[in-house]
Amino acid sequence: MGRTIKFIAKRLAFSVFVLVGLSILIFVIARVMPGNPARMALGARAPEWVVERLREEMHLNEPLYVQYYYWAKGALHGNFGISLVTRRSVANDIKAFFPASLELALYAGIFMGIIGIVLGTISGWYANTWVDNLVRIISYMGIVTPSFVFAIFFVLIFSYVLEILPTIGRLTPGVVPPPSVTGVITFDALITGRFDVFFDALKHLLLPAISLAMGPLSQEARITRASLVDNVQKDYIASERSCGIPERTIMFKYLLKPSLIPTITIYGLDFASILGNAFLVELIFNWPGLSRYGMNAMLQKDLNAITAVVLVLGLVFIIANIVVDLTVGYLDPRIGLGTERSSE
Amino acid sequence: MSKSVKILLVTLCLIGILSLGVASAAERPFRTNWSWPTYIDPAVGSDFSSSTALVNLYDTLFYPDIKGDPQPHIAESWEVSADGLVWTIHLRQGIKFHDGTELTAEDVKFSMDRLITIGEGYAYLFKVIKSTEVLDKYTVVFHLNHPFGPFEAVMYRFYILNKDLVMANIERPGPYGDMGDYGKQYLLTHDAGSGPYMVKAFPLEEYLLMTIHPNYWIPIDPNAPDEYKMIGTCEPVTVRTAMSRRELEIADRWQPVEALDALEKINGIKIGEFDSGLSYYYMVNTKKPPTDDIHFRKAMAWALDYKTVINKVFPGSIQSRGPVNQSLPGADPTIFQYQRNLDKAMAELKQSKYYNQLDEYPVVVAFPSVPADNEKMALLFMSNMADIGIKVETLKVPWASIIEIMASEETSSHVAGVSVAPHYPEAGSLLESRYKSDSVATWEQNEWLLDSKFDAMIEDALKTVNREERFVKYSKTQQYIMDLCPTLFIFDMMAKHPYQVGYIDWPAARGEVIPVMGYNLAGRFIKVYPDKRAELLK
Repeated sequence: MGRTIKFIAKRLAFSVFVLVGLSILIFVIARVMPGNPARMALGARAPEWVVERLREEMHLNEPLYVQYYYWAKGALHGNFGISLVTRRSVANDIKAFFPASLELALYAGIFMGIIGIVLGTISGWYANTWVDNLVRIISYMGIVTPSFVFAIFFVLIFSYVLEILPTIGRLTPGVVPPPSVTGVITFDALITGRFDVFFDALKHLLLPAISLAMGPLSQEARITRASLVDNVQKDYIASERSCGIPERTIMFKYLLKPSLIPTITIYGLDFASILGNAFLVELIFNWPGLSRYGMNAMLQKDLNAITAVVLVLGLVFIIANIVVDLTVGYLDPRIGLGTERSSE
Repeated sequence: MSKSVKILLVTLCLIGILSLGVASAAERPFRTNWSWPTYIDPAVGSDFSSSTALVNLYDTLFYPDIKGDPQPHIAESWEVSADGLVWTIHLRQGIKFHDGTELTAEDVKFSMDRLITIGEGYAYLFKVIKSTEVLDKYTVVFHLNHPFGPFEAVMYRFYILNKDLVMANIERPGPYGDMGDYGKQYLLTHDAGSGPYMVKAFPLEEYLLMTIHPNYWIPIDPNAPDEYKMIGTCEPVTVRTAMSRRELEIADRWQPVEALDALEKINGIKIGEFDSGLSYYYMVNTKKPPTDDIHFRKAMAWALDYKTVINKVFPGSIQSRGPVNQSLPGADPTIFQYQRNLDKAMAELKQSKYYNQLDEYPVVVAFPSVPADNEKMALLFMSNMADIGIKVETLKVPWASIIEIMASEETSSHVAGVSVAPHYPEAGSLLESRYKSDSVATWEQNEWLLDSKFDAMIEDALKTVNREERFVKYSKTQQYIMDLCPTLFIFDMMAKHPYQVGYIDWPAARGEVIPVMGYNLAGRFIKVYPDKRAELLK
């Protein structure tokens, strides 16, 4: 346990440097992009003195390093400035948008994990049979098709033709959302005992979450399959077979666990990517998520929002990587957490 | 029971639960979709969705009729001084804000002072206001810097706030001194109005939900929507699905032609068309070679195939007649229209000093990447110009880059394809914003006209309080612009909104169009029939 805590502490300490570096990079990039953010926010007809006032408020007339100083000082106190698009504090925006994206990513992650691993396992177990070929074709289709194409396809099938699933937002109009505890509606609904809201939210989640999961789950299926096929040829499996251990036991007890290591490594990265890359799916389903917010921020040159969104996504990647490393270390103790070497 | 049967039963139960609908609480919901964000603070919002929300949440002193003429609203009567510098407004008594307090002259003064101090949104329309004075509880006086003829028309953009409510919700410190943030944070998600609808919920990131004001001072038809929802998406597949499921009553006007065709085929859906007040221009840079040559510009004007534009590229639109959209009061219906005539185009081109060097002077046409039809327009232009030997290069860029490109004379392209709407319903609005020298370097003027004679003409027209005299002056300025040929006046844009003709009655779709952005979607004039909707859903 102590080793794990030490590992997490070390990684978190390193991540501070990563985030500071990332913040400087994105801070500079956002500011050298063409366009006067104050003018863009206020419109073509806003008088010059109003534009100038906003520039002053945002310290845009100061040198870059001074601007960064003001920004970093605020950020350390949880103040990321005001969004030029939503006109409220970026911290509040993140608080509002992040849970929506997180909820989407969580459910997409469930589909990704379960379906991807199941498909990969079946494919690996029945390697080079028609089952394997079928899963291969499905996986290739999933990998090459962008998530927004799946989104449009699912909307047409399940909402337009069959009319069984909704297309807009997180809840049906008229449904009062549960009091916000986590911001993730399905969790809040369960916490507050609002099961009708839970199922309504789940209904809204299905299509966008599956759309986002299709690509990554196909990738995970292929990786799981490749890893399984690789491991099944190893000596220890042959040895277990010669001892008469049932195939099912070999599969679930001795083969699957080591075969999942590369899958889990990719899974962590995919999960984090969903948060940042979901803007088209969020747009199609009118999902009020962080990705769409970030995209709008980019288009409108919303400086504070751009920096904050990139930092949040960077943080998610860091956490996802730590979780992946911990999981991999648990699955294969030989890999370990890399603490011994550093302590030697 | 076998394991697989159990799994099947659990799956069926889950599907059953998920299929349960949760009905909306509203009896007559009315839903529209918009590009986001929407600002409901009268001192901040000025785009289409914000204007529509403001019209529903707030009251104004005057209300436009279908000709754009001012009708009494909160102003019961008014008079203007002989020199045109003092406007005295007598307010209607007994008007109640949503919280029940009475609307008085103090609220009017507070709202105007706040708008001018903040300086955002529609504040630029009120530069002419020198001060606002409360004469008594129901009389307010506006003192102007100079006479301003379209005063009543710009007042359609002045929304009256509940002073006490805003003051009670000011956050200090803020950028406005003693006034802190002037209530901006509060008004981001709350209203302080007296309009026919009031805010019920506004998750900024998703939708604005308004509910009917039960004690509105004008009787509202019992079939008017009891809830009005503005949803933040324009995605065609989402819109099409929501329309087909009768979850959207009026769709946005930016749907592509293919989506409109598909929607029109659905039973109970029709495309409501009316002149949007928007005009689409090819703004020609008059300072950059070769378009600095008037003959070169006229050659382009003669060579463009306007009929193909209005029939094929933007079907249903109307060819423009000069710089002012013909739906606007003050537009001159006698202004000359160019038609495609290659002989005349060549004759003009031969008079141009660039005639023998056409290959050295390609014309760059910049246009926003959205809507997609802009590109078809640019390709048609390229093809038409090739017919007379003019080489065209297209530059498709995001909207933000268009603004950037047009911000300086050096970076400005030869031609910029942009649509512009009037800021208030009068010809003077477009003439001023499109061609006056102080609008160069904005996205509304790529012409870089910088013509002092024109500036004097439009200023004189705008200072003329007498409406008929003012309109005569507008005509002269329109003719003056036509003579300079700084623009290809392509078409007046029709707003095409798919709507549920099967169960809503929408005056604008019947031709009762108010030529002021946002007013055609005032919920109190729209009627919703739930029984007919239920029939369509069967």
